Amino acid sequence: MRMLEVFRSSAVRVALAFVLVTTVATTAVFGLVYLQIREANETRNRVILEDEAAKSVNLPVDALKTAFEVRLTHDLRRVDYAALFSADRKAMFGNIDVLPAIPVDGKAHYVAASPVQGTVNLPGPAVFVALARPDGTIMLLGRSLLETLAFRRIVQNALAAGLAPMLLLALAIGAFFARRSSRRLTDIHDTIAQIMKGDTHLRLRVRSRNDTIDKISEDVNLMLDEIMRLLVQIKGVSDNIAHDLRSPLAVVYAQLERGLENTNDEQLRVVVKQALTHIDKAMLTVAALLRLADVEYGPKSSKFRPIDLAAICTDLFEFFEPLATSKSIKMTLEIESPVQMLGDGDLMREAVSNLIGNAIKFTPENGKVSVSVTEEDGRPVVRIRDTGIGVEPAERDKIFQRFYRTASGHRVPGSGLGLSIAAAIANLHDFDLRFDDNDPGAVFEMVGRGRQASGNFAHANHPSV
Amino acid sequence: MTKKPATPAQTILLVEDEKEMANEIKAELEGLGYLVRTASIAEAADAARVGDAAMIVMDRIVFGEDSLNTLEALRKEGVKVPVLVISALSSIDERVHGLKAGGDDYLAKPFAMVEFVARVEALLRRLDDVRTTKLRVGDLEMDLIEQKVYRGETRIDLLPREFKLLEYFLRHPGQVITRAMLLEEVWQYHFSLETNVVDVHISNLRKKIDVRGVPSLIVNIRGAGFMLNANA
Repeated sequence: MRMLEVFRSSAVRVALAFVLVTTVATTAVFGLVYLQIREANETRNRVILEDEAAKSVNLPVDALKTAFEVRLTHDLRRVDYAALFSADRKAMFGNIDVLPAIPVDGKAHYVAASPVQGTVNLPGPAVFVALARPDGTIMLLGRSLLETLAFRRIVQNALAAGLAPMLLLALAIGAFFARRSSRRLTDIHDTIAQIMKGDTHLRLRVRSRNDTIDKISEDVNLMLDEIMRLLVQIKGVSDNIAHDLRSPLAVVYAQLERGLENTNDEQLRVVVKQALTHIDKAMLTVAALLRLADVEYGPKSSKFRPIDLAAICTDLFEFFEPLATSKSIKMTLEIESPVQMLGDGDLMREAVSNLIGNAIKFTPENGKVSVSVTEEDGRPVVRIRDTGIGVEPAERDKIFQRFYRTASGHRVPGSGLGLSIAAAIANLHDFDLRFDDNDPGAVFEMVGRGRQASGNFAHANHPSV
Repeated sequence: MTKKPATPAQTILLVEDEKEMANEIKAELEGLGYLVRTASIAEAADAARVGDAAMIVMDRIVFGEDSLNTLEALRKEGVKVPVLVISALSSIDERVHGLKAGGDDYLAKPFAMVEFVARVEALLRRLDDVRTTKLRVGDLEMDLIEQKVYRGETRIDLLPREFKLLEYFLRHPGQVITRAMLLEEVWQYHFSLETNVVDVHISNLRKKIDVRGVPSLIVNIRGAGFMLNANA
């Protein structure tokens, strides 16, 4: 399947939206946890620092110094800051050299970075409390926020580490479902195309899972059944009419014929003769309609036998050539080798004879009609070209319909069912009957759909061959 | 239509359940001098067994029953009466079925009466002697073994299909032969054609076998087909 189609499918859009929402939600959770923890951490730092500062503000300088040393010695993680500055803000002891620029008010303040004595290049944000002692010195207590920072990085890494596989997983799942549903849609599309081409027995696949697509497929199948039922009904009606007409027509014909023999009334004879001509036409049509019904419902492909399309066409060519010659039409035959296929020889003969007969019928004197039988890409092709009147572009879709006769064709006698019968026979044999412009004239092609089993038949039946 | 009383009057048994159709067939054949008796399929079979029928015309389906079953049984008994099957079932399969069951000819409805009569007469006057090696009408002679045709002393060159066409005429002299019969018997085409190809073939054949100044051996029968002039 093409990538473009994957992204066009609605399932993929749903999958992508799902991925997006999941990402946002996960990020939000992580973010919230991080913020909560940082908030709690910082608050604790502030409170502890302010409290400590307040408690030790009245200690003597010596005691303070000892306390600071103890405090700093025990601070293995080097996150604590403690220092005393003189009234003129000169460092007296402690691990901070320079008093950060914060108000000396005993409240915790955030400082972006501060160097710690003895530890080079250890920048980082910190919280400081500066408090003026009774002797005028300034006590500074602080705590580095580097740990919080590290914690934030850990959360970020965790988020990234978790998010990436999750994103990939969501994408993969989305693509899988999209692919599957899009493949099913493609299947449905193909099946419907085939049904419209004439494989009316085909139905959409319905699985036992019964999801939406199955439900819709089921509905479409029901609809197709109904259409087929109506179609068969309509055809049945017209076939029945033809069937029921044939006996009365034959009887009327015979009666008129007999009447004609037994009368000498010239006027009556003329009328009866005209009536007979028309009944003859009606009988021709009825016979052709019934023939069409025979072809459409009659032979099953299981009865097909190996036939040689080239031999059939050669035979028909010899049959029709004198007719063409009598109309001063040059008729040619192009055949290279036998073209084997499975089929009903009588029917194929009938179909091709309709096409050749038409070609000669609609080609004026001194024209050309050519018959060729070839195998193209392993498919049998019968092509009948003429230099006749051709078919108007507007009429090209209609010529294979029952009873359709071109405006110019009305001058030539015929039932108007010849092409329909040929098309039905072609379809029965898995051939397409196509029309093309020969400029001037027409080209009718019967092209196998490649399921004729052609020459392989002999091998299939006689493995030893 | 050529009126030619068959003498002695031959009895044709007609098995047909459509009354109107039966009446028409009866009237037509009686007009030509045949005796026609409508019968059930069982009656027809009985008559055929005792040699009381010149031929049987049977509808394929009579009162819902397939008459081919009876025909098949009849043939198994060795009864050789000519049988023309007429049927509303017109597909080639049905036709083949009808002939396999023992029908000598199969005519799909609707048919023109001329077509029907031509086939009845062809069956009634069928030449049973297949061993004939020479066919002759007037001074036209066909040697079936040598595959040669002579008109008087003159050798006539015919294409294979023309030979078959002429042979069919020679086997049915003086009988009306329809286009459909020629299509079926000479070309084995079992479908109707909306063109006059057969006429062109006949006219080509005529050009080869006819002699200038003498009426053509093969004459057109208006509205029906052709006939080989047996008295030439």
